[in-house]
Amino acid sequence: MRRHLIELVLFSTYAELRAEAARSYLGLIWWVLEPAMMMGAYWLVFDVILKTGGADYIPFLLIGLTLWQWMKQCITHGGYAIWSSLPMVRQVQLPPIVFPLIAMLSDTVKFFFIFLLLVVILWALGYPPNAAYWALPILFFAIFLAAAGAGFIVSALVPLVPDLRFVIEQVLMVVMFLSAVIFPLDQVPPSLKGLMALNPIAVVMDDARGILMHGQLPNWVGLWKVYVISIVLCAIGVASVRAFAPRFPKLAS
Amino acid sequence: MGDVVIELEHVGVAFHAQRSIGGGRYWALEDVNLQLRRGERLGVIGRNGAGKSTLLRVLAGILAPDRGRVRRSGISCQLMSLSLGFVGHLSGRDNAVLSGLLLGLRRREIVARLPAIREFSELGDFFEQPIATYSAGMGMRLAFAVAMQVEPDVLLIDEVLSVGDTEFQEKSGAALRERMREGRTVVLVSHDEEQIRRRCDRVLWIEHGRSVLEGHRDEVFAAYHRDLHHPAETA
Repeated sequence: MRRHLIELVLFSTYAELRAEAARSYLGLIWWVLEPAMMMGAYWLVFDVILKTGGADYIPFLLIGLTLWQWMKQCITHGGYAIWSSLPMVRQVQLPPIVFPLIAMLSDTVKFFFIFLLLVVILWALGYPPNAAYWALPILFFAIFLAAAGAGFIVSALVPLVPDLRFVIEQVLMVVMFLSAVIFPLDQVPPSLKGLMALNPIAVVMDDARGILMHGQLPNWVGLWKVYVISIVLCAIGVASVRAFAPRFPKLAS
Repeated sequence: MGDVVIELEHVGVAFHAQRSIGGGRYWALEDVNLQLRRGERLGVIGRNGAGKSTLLRVLAGILAPDRGRVRRSGISCQLMSLSLGFVGHLSGRDNAVLSGLLLGLRRREIVARLPAIREFSELGDFFEQPIATYSAGMGMRLAFAVAMQVEPDVLLIDEVLSVGDTEFQEKSGAALRERMREGRTVVLVSHDEEQIRRRCDRVLWIEHGRSVLEGHRDEVFAAYHRDLHHPAETA
């Protein structure tokens, strides 16, 4: 039974990626071109026009956006997955968690392509690959767990209250601004600094920039806390999908 | 007759009428009793909206009852669904694998049956083309060919017996009859009385979500027809 589900998730991920590539003329190129265009837009607004950062701003921005887009897509695509699969949920007996999982895995595959592009760009900007890269998988896994946990929670709620879809994008935008994705949080009043340091996303952004730009290993204590938060999120997410599972086949999409 | 594989006792299933705050519930199934024995072919009859499809989904384990009890004896149960999970941009081959996995098959089982699926669906080289390029008939043939590969202990069928053109209808009907002759337990839901009369031994009649009568098909059909002509007697 379990083996069968793993096969199902892997093949569905492949099918989703393949179908997505077939849907447009440029196919696979869009996986990289779309984020590249988005990065260009942010660069134009925040660097060229607003002159936000100093010399390090472009790599700072690119790393932040690459990681954030991955997280955001896991949360939104994964979060809408059960809701958009309701016609299938009504037809087969499957643990509903497979639907967000498939969406998140295909976003993660795409992320790896984009990340490769990022490494090449960083190299061109004068930040070559360094010895601290070995810590990246540990960091990525923490990010995936956090995003998956949040995505599972959303995926359990959206079928019951589809209205949430209108709120989630806005909430994520606020989270992005509060997590040092686009600009550093230097200007935050000191009274709020302690609170901001608890934000796990800000922590992983810092760690990723440390590794990629300065060859600096993560702050392990901070990363350990991120892991704890991520695992708790995942547990809540899986539990809520399971708790609401009997209701999904009765819902209209 | 074999041992009981699924038993339903006073089963009811409620749906929310609409998605709004304080929306009411309605009972698609109110009170259904049923004993399904190994190897039997049970037909379910009843008018539109009687709850036949809901009952199949309860048997398949997709819907959990809101009241009453479902007992099953560790058997696999599969609702035969056509075109399940089909993706237009993928080839017939990829869709066959995907649909087969969704229907509970292991990947190597489907891969081993791909030649048979290709043969049965009469798609030829189109098997490697995206199914978005298929005609409606071709899509249905592929869907049926995939669905026929599923081999659960209990097969649940919801009026899918005839698909495609006349020639393929005969072929699909024959394949399905063969499946039903293999001694598999089958539950068949259909509007088409002829289908049920020919293929089932026992019949369950449900009306407004309640089981009215369960028994030998001739006996149940006789009562059903009396009721169709004089509905006031039982309503």
